[in-house]
Amino acid sequence: MSEPLRDPAPDAVDRTELEGPPTGPRRVLIALYAVFALAATARGIVQITTQFDAAPLAYALSLFSGVVYVAATVGLVTDRSWSRPLAWAAVGTEMAGVLVVGLLSIFDGAAFPRDTVWSRFGSGYGYVPVILPVIGLMYLWQTRRSPDGPPHPAG
Amino acid sequence: MISWLGYGVLTAGLVLAAWTGWQAYRRRPTTEAQMWGAIVVEAGLLVQTVIALVRLAGGASVTEPVTFIAYSVGILAPLALGFYLARLERTRWGSIALCFTAVVVAVMTLRLLQLWQGHV
Repeated sequence: MSEPLRDPAPDAVDRTELEGPPTGPRRVLIALYAVFALAATARGIVQITTQFDAAPLAYALSLFSGVVYVAATVGLVTDRSWSRPLAWAAVGTEMAGVLVVGLLSIFDGAAFPRDTVWSRFGSGYGYVPVILPVIGLMYLWQTRRSPDGPPHPAG
Repeated sequence: MISWLGYGVLTAGLVLAAWTGWQAYRRRPTTEAQMWGAIVVEAGLLVQTVIALVRLAGGASVTEPVTFIAYSVGILAPLALGFYLARLERTRWGSIALCFTAVVVAVMTLRLLQLWQGHV
């Protein structure tokens, strides 16, 4: 047990990202991912609570995509040892998800009588859902050797 | 909702997006005036949300009421986030963040108007 030096009540919020070098692209990504986390999660919850029987697979996927966006957002915002692996996993899942669901929704319409965020490659959201993981993966790849820390094995 | 207010907020959101987008194109951080612009748009959104929920409680019928309520409340979040990020990031990236969130609230407002006008 170490005694707190200045902070009698340590801040529970992780503020490490404010101390690092300014990372503009990362903050724009945070904006993008946070918005989609809110949109997809809320949409999934609304769909499942109001009309789950109409398209169970599509609605479960909506909620799943929301959870993935939330995980990606957390991975981008925080600066812990698990942050980048989490971001890689989430953005990778998102990339695979939007491609698989995009293809399935086109070739197997019966499984998707209702739309999800990832249906038809995210056409309902201006195709941002298919572009976003590409940008996310590019960002993670570009920054895989952070100047203020050891290179992450996940990179 | 009130249609003219909805379209007003939608237009204001698009104007803010174009303004901050231009700022990002010039590789500059957001200006003080743009931050006030975001506050004005957010205030408009708040008024719109209150009116919409009051009228909904007063018996107005909308298509998909659950979705409508979720959008009405959720629409208050994006611009606040963009504002915060633009304050934090005093580079053109802050302008991009505010620009994107302004586009989002404009699109969400359009969706709200569609849901609202679904009732006759």
